[in-house]
Amino acid sequence: MNDISEAFVSSLGLILFLDAELLEIILLSFRITFYAVLISSILGIPLGAFLASTHFKFRNTVVSILFGMMGLPPVVVGLFVYLIFSRSGSLGWMGLLYSPTVMIIAQVILILPIVCCLTFQIIESLHTRYHEFFRSYRVAKLKSVIAYIVDSRFELTTVILAGIGRSISEVGAIIIVGGNIDHITRVMTTAIALETSKGNLDLALGLGIILLATAIVLNGFILFLRGKYLKTPGSSI
Amino acid sequence: MAFEDTQITINDLSFNIEGKTLLHNTNLSLNRDGITVLLGANGAGKTIFLKLLTGLLTPCSGSITFEGGNLSIKTRAFVSQEPVILRRTVLKNMLFVLEKITSEKSTLAKELLSLMGLDKKEHQNALTLSAGEKQRLCLARAIITDPEILLLDEPTANIEPNSTTLIEKYLIQKVRSSRKIFFVTHDINQARRLADEIVFIHTGRVIEHSSAENFFENPKTREAKKYISGKIN
Repeated sequence: MNDISEAFVSSLGLILFLDAELLEIILLSFRITFYAVLISSILGIPLGAFLASTHFKFRNTVVSILFGMMGLPPVVVGLFVYLIFSRSGSLGWMGLLYSPTVMIIAQVILILPIVCCLTFQIIESLHTRYHEFFRSYRVAKLKSVIAYIVDSRFELTTVILAGIGRSISEVGAIIIVGGNIDHITRVMTTAIALETSKGNLDLALGLGIILLATAIVLNGFILFLRGKYLKTPGSSI
Repeated sequence: MAFEDTQITINDLSFNIEGKTLLHNTNLSLNRDGITVLLGANGAGKTIFLKLLTGLLTPCSGSITFEGGNLSIKTRAFVSQEPVILRRTVLKNMLFVLEKITSEKSTLAKELLSLMGLDKKEHQNALTLSAGEKQRLCLARAIITDPEILLLDEPTANIEPNSTTLIEKYLIQKVRSSRKIFFVTHDINQARRLADEIVFIHTGRVIEHSSAENFFENPKTREAKKYISGKIN
């Protein structure tokens, strides 16, 4: 108990005095999360909007696969990406294994289905209201997809925040493809796992506090946006 | 209103869904201008008929021709009973339906909003408008596309009386002379005020088509008589 309280006080010291190692790990975590969520949003939001507003032959199959991918086990994704980017893998020549880039790729594979499916659900309900209007005014497909995204911007913000939450707390995939290399691919979650196993509880706890604070701030922001959205006219959730 | 120029022709139009016929082989010759009111009891097939005219539904058989040619979807604008309002300002809602926004169209949008009593609200979030204001916006938005045929599905149902008056006044004074209007309503008095001709639909069949005066003075069918007297609705 004493060790834990000492570690806790020590971890607060690391945070307050902006420990260089701690800062480096936090900044890399945020950088990887930022790019992973950015790429997932750029691809996933239009794709979700398109699927929600378009009917084609294998649409239900595509949607079912995407929904199934929401529950992809991170370690399996990590292993899959590892095999592709390992020296003998099909993309091994790129030399990306154990780099932040491959960590972003693994994160995108995990987050993209979440962003896409949540977008699909939000825009599908909007499509029910809008589609006759769009058809009767011959609104072009691209224009209608943009309109769906613009008109559900509040709800889509919460989708992006959900993606950030998933990304920043992920450990299974990035520890496999990133290798948890000090100063190169060590992020908050992988560092916590390593430092705990080494018994270096103050750094692990310091990172844990930051991670927890990030999750609380994100969820608080989601609740704030939801409250703000519910007060706007035309809200449907 | 002159009725001699028949320019909208409906030939053998029918619509089925899941083996059930919702509109039976319909043949009509309609005047190019004026207001045609579609009357009929609930579930008679008025909205199906209107959506076939709009192009939102594809007929199982038959055709609609306008001035001798196929009815182009570009000539039509549809306003539904439930106003569809985009989450943006009143003016942006107006401009959304345009393929190209020109300064003339922007000026026209403002003029139409002014005619609809919405000029002071053009920069307001359109979702904050009242039900009647939303419907007036929908009508103005339909007009700005310059349609030859305006199809209105109970546009004044569930809105406040002053909005109904404004819409009716606008349709009679500004629109009737230059475009064809199809208007679905349940309100007999409104039909009397607006209609140049009546199409009466009963269980998916057009059973009467005549001038409004004839329809209300001398309805030919038992169903129409019952409908006018309020015995069926």
